[in-house]
Amino acid sequence: MGPLAINELISENTNLFLAFIIGIGFGFILEQSGFSSSRKLAGVFYGYDTVVLKVFFTAAITAMLGLLFFSLFGWIDMDLVYVNPTYLTSAIVGGMIMGAGFIIGGYCPGTSFCGASIGKIDALVFIGGLFIGVFIFGIGYDLWDGMYMAKFLGSPKVSETLGLTDGVFAFLLIIVALGMFWVAEWAEKKFPRAEY
Amino acid sequence: MAKSKERKVRSYINPYLGGVLLGIVLLAANFVAGRGLGASGAIKSTVVTAMVTVSPSSAEKSGFLQEFRESHAGNPMKTWLVFEMMGVLVGGFLSGAFAGRLKLKVEHSPGITSRKRLLLALGGGVLFGFGSQLGRGCTSGSALSGMAVLSLGGFVTMMAIFGTAYAFAYFFRKNWI
Amino acid sequence: MEEELIVSGRMNQMIDPHLHIWHWQISLYLFLGGMAAGILAIAALYFIRGRENDYKTAVRITPFIAPFLLVIGLLALFIDLRHKLFFWQLYTNIKLQSPMSWGAWTLMVITPVSFVWCALHIKDIFPNWDWKYKWLYDLEAFFNKYKKALAWVMLIYAIILGIYTGILLSAFNARPLWNTSILGPLFLASGLSAGAAATLVLSKDSKERKQFARIDLVLIGIELFLIIHMFMGFLASTQVQIEAAQLFLGGQYTMSFWIFVVILGMLIPALLEIMELGKFHIPVVIPAVLVIFGSLMLRFIIVYAGQVSRWLY
Repeated sequence: MGPLAINELISENTNLFLAFIIGIGFGFILEQSGFSSSRKLAGVFYGYDTVVLKVFFTAAITAMLGLLFFSLFGWIDMDLVYVNPTYLTSAIVGGMIMGAGFIIGGYCPGTSFCGASIGKIDALVFIGGLFIGVFIFGIGYDLWDGMYMAKFLGSPKVSETLGLTDGVFAFLLIIVALGMFWVAEWAEKKFPRAEY
Repeated sequence: MAKSKERKVRSYINPYLGGVLLGIVLLAANFVAGRGLGASGAIKSTVVTAMVTVSPSSAEKSGFLQEFRESHAGNPMKTWLVFEMMGVLVGGFLSGAFAGRLKLKVEHSPGITSRKRLLLALGGGVLFGFGSQLGRGCTSGSALSGMAVLSLGGFVTMMAIFGTAYAFAYFFRKNWI
Repeated sequence: MEEELIVSGRMNQMIDPHLHIWHWQISLYLFLGGMAAGILAIAALYFIRGRENDYKTAVRITPFIAPFLLVIGLLALFIDLRHKLFFWQLYTNIKLQSPMSWGAWTLMVITPVSFVWCALHIKDIFPNWDWKYKWLYDLEAFFNKYKKALAWVMLIYAIILGIYTGILLSAFNARPLWNTSILGPLFLASGLSAGAAATLVLSKDSKERKQFARIDLVLIGIELFLIIHMFMGFLASTQVQIEAAQLFLGGQYTMSFWIFVVILGMLIPALLEIMELGKFHIPVVIPAVLVIFGSLMLRFIIVYAGQVSRWLY
């Protein structure tokens, strides 16, 4: 059955309409969870507010389990679902640059739009920075082309790389996440926090 | 602050509930479009459009545009992520309206000035924008959505983002605590 | 000009299979005309009901936008004309069955009336205004004396103008999407709603704002009702109409129509206005701008989609 757009059960135009609806849900939940506040987001790196960790891992696990079960019931064809390709060098270097941007700027792209939508001026400035950053990448593309394309591994699943089945990996990830949630709750008690 | 007594500011929802709901949205995105959520892709589309509009000849020559065209046919603004991000603005605004959090302000810790906060936000944005292109997606597009489909790259990017942020956290603590 | 004998529109490449003759000028004109009609109708209605002092902005201030809207709209229409020098010929004959003739005569009446209405209230905007000549003062006194009659003329012609912006399209029986009697009321409701939104932005009186938020809500409800019935009508009709409706139900106008017109232009402002009427605090300019934007998008999408919808293959 799914993915609806790829199996052409819905038209391209309907797909874009649903993108908008899904975006409303995305933005609404991000804001309701407190992702519109940079101080709340940055809290995860100092232990005073770990909402990012909790929401992020709960969401990843929910979606992962959902996809596994949907696939099991035959509701979605996982071969048609886009799996992010792995270019090892750029994934690590890009991730590190993003990590630095995160701790300096206090937002990531999705949350900055969310913050800007309720009037956070720092979020708006962060978005301005995003455009400049993407533009710099675009005009200097030939300079980092080599690094961008280096160490291409195809689109492997992390479970395959580790030699586990998807189900076992998912189970282990849940155990790891529960451990992290326990640490997070402990950290929040230890470090003072305010409401933003 | 006197005003906030009249209009009640609601608190945030439970983070685990938020996570489950966000996971369902991500699942819906995969079910409908066969791809996850994302944010930086929409910015890329806008930048590509701007480059093509301002200087078509030099834009056509750049490898950046060719790389973009390989994965996106047609008008770069008529892509899934652009519409999704438009929705994010609407959804965030509605949520802020419901919770009484609509307010123009620069949020910063008491330790730094607004001006410094804005400069840091700009610098962080530039880094994040650049990194998101190199990493083929940001926290939502590469890390979160990648993890949901068990992509190795998604896990690697996620660990690189959070690992680096934790490593640098100590040096930037004055900006947040 | 050579004389041409047109037996069938199918000979004309600009008409078959798709219409290629109506562009942004027409959409803009239909929007501006509709919004001006909405503003003037609301102003006239409240004046006639003797509520001028309760709704000062709507009766006295907002109408100042209308002449600008009408003049810009007429300018857009004029740019669109192929034979610009022949426009006066619309006034050399009256054809009751032609919506263009109706429109031309309606505009001929409502434009000067809107100027007079503004002149009567100019002291609200420029308190030191001086008419300079005695005959202008006499004229002002004359219109003030018959202001109620003027308001009636304005109300009736504003409503005709509002409906005509839709009927202009409905009269094209060759375009199945347009050929529905719902477009007249729909465009009227949309114009009134844009007019109410203009007062919502300009008014500083919280009671007046609440009233106009309520008016806007009712109008949005009417618009949604009409849109749903328009689609029900299409889907219950012949294959041609069903295909016209499919343009919005999966076809190439699905995303633009439902996102920009229905969600951003109607549902979200309605939600925000409901919240504003409750205890929530919303910057009122946001729903108002969204309503006006949605009203503009409605004209653009209906004009463009209508030219794509067709009878035969």
